[in-house]
Amino acid sequence: MSGQFSLLRDTRHLQAVALGLIVLGGGLIAARSHLIPKSFGEHGPYRGDALREIAAQQPVLTSDTSCLKCHDSVHEERAESPHKDVACLHCHGNGHEHMAQAEKAAADPSVTIEKAKPWDKDFFTKLDLFITKDRATCLSCHEKVVGMPASFRIIDVKSHLADQGAENIDSADVCFECHTGHSPGI
Amino acid sequence: MNKSHDSAGASGCGSRPATSGLNILNQGTPCGGGGSCGGVSCGGQQRSKADSRRQFLSRATSMVFGSFALTLLPMEPSDSSAESPLPASPDGTAAAPTPAASAAKPVLYGFLVDTEKCIGSGKCLSACRTENHVPDGYSRTWVERYVHFKDGTVQVDLVPETGYHESKLPIVDAALVDKAYFVPKLCNQCVDAPCNQVCPVHASFTSPEGVELIDTDHCIGCGYCVQACPYGMRYINPETNSADKCTWCYHRITKNQEPACVEACPVGARIFGRLDDPDSELSKRLGATRTQVLKEHLGTHPKLHYVGLSKEVV
Repeated sequence: MSGQFSLLRDTRHLQAVALGLIVLGGGLIAARSHLIPKSFGEHGPYRGDALREIAAQQPVLTSDTSCLKCHDSVHEERAESPHKDVACLHCHGNGHEHMAQAEKAAADPSVTIEKAKPWDKDFFTKLDLFITKDRATCLSCHEKVVGMPASFRIIDVKSHLADQGAENIDSADVCFECHTGHSPGI
Repeated sequence: MNKSHDSAGASGCGSRPATSGLNILNQGTPCGGGGSCGGVSCGGQQRSKADSRRQFLSRATSMVFGSFALTLLPMEPSDSSAESPLPASPDGTAAAPTPAASAAKPVLYGFLVDTEKCIGSGKCLSACRTENHVPDGYSRTWVERYVHFKDGTVQVDLVPETGYHESKLPIVDAALVDKAYFVPKLCNQCVDAPCNQVCPVHASFTSPEGVELIDTDHCIGCGYCVQACPYGMRYINPETNSADKCTWCYHRITKNQEPACVEACPVGARIFGRLDDPDSELSKRLGATRTQVLKEHLGTHPKLHYVGLSKEVV
């Protein structure tokens, strides 16, 4: 504790600590700016790009407005129908591929739109368009199930067919002998 | 070693001659070590020493917090677009904060489920799976059927995704049933979402429109949020190893389309719309109907409302 004070010599222990802190702080700041995504904090404490990525995903299911652009007669057909709010894809499946084909065909007349296939009783799981003259289409909603609200048109198939005096009770298209899908007339 | 000029600055009772600072009369008490000069051993200069220590502590504290504040600076939001109704343009450039944008009312989405209309067709379930590529064995939405029997018991089962037609499920005898109804479940999009609060990496977030979303790139799959959600809406997607949940089809609603389940519902039991628009069907229904939310006592403030819930529904 004697002799002349020397800044270099007598503060060496502090210099080491200071240097260490600077290196550590600099490292932390560098690591932080490297690890935190650029868009972080744009809208809040999260990655702003994530919001755009989710919003940019393409819808898979087609909406009625897309269908009715071309098939506008159906709109009139359904105007007074109890089925007017039932989406097209319910009975016809999702027209995703059909729309793509239609757009191609509009651009290139040599391309033909593939015909709709018979319904395979598998709603939405196939990206195809279906022609549905199958009782299962109707009964997927209308068959009597415990829990349905009384306000809904519930069909007890056996008694209904007997009441109407239907002959081909077991045929798939028995419903369509009296009803149409777009305007079932009930 | 302690002269009359002692360092009373930030270095405490240092041994070197002070070049500045307060003049503190040193009584020659053994007060050599750095910060170890306690009030007792320093005797008469206790008050001055305490002052200097207080000064030291206040400076040190402000330095520590100041340095923390410096590291926080880049986290400040770069603009006020949190109020803009839609996320910035898809080309990646953030929307410039215009006075009109910040003054505009933020879009706020809401959802109403009318259990008195649901027929248990299961259309919403397969629509959601197709739209959102939900892996088999997991669900973002489901429909529960509550069957109250005449003997007072209540049975709860799930509506099959393909509907009841041609399903192999045992048929409930209608003669024994008091009442029965369907309750569709989906993300409640809580205002105070517990799932959001527990995320350790900010991968779970609320969009400006109030929709809870997941940054699947950032999610570490720890599953805290899965446990935190009181409604059991979240799951760990085995394909992405990330948490996943119903987003009210954020990618559709931002394109002015309805969520897939709403589009698919044949009876209008699911109503989606804007809460901030008093003319929307949702706002009108909410204003005209008495509605409930699930687990209200938890204080999560869901934006998913129900019509016609019974007390047995949780």
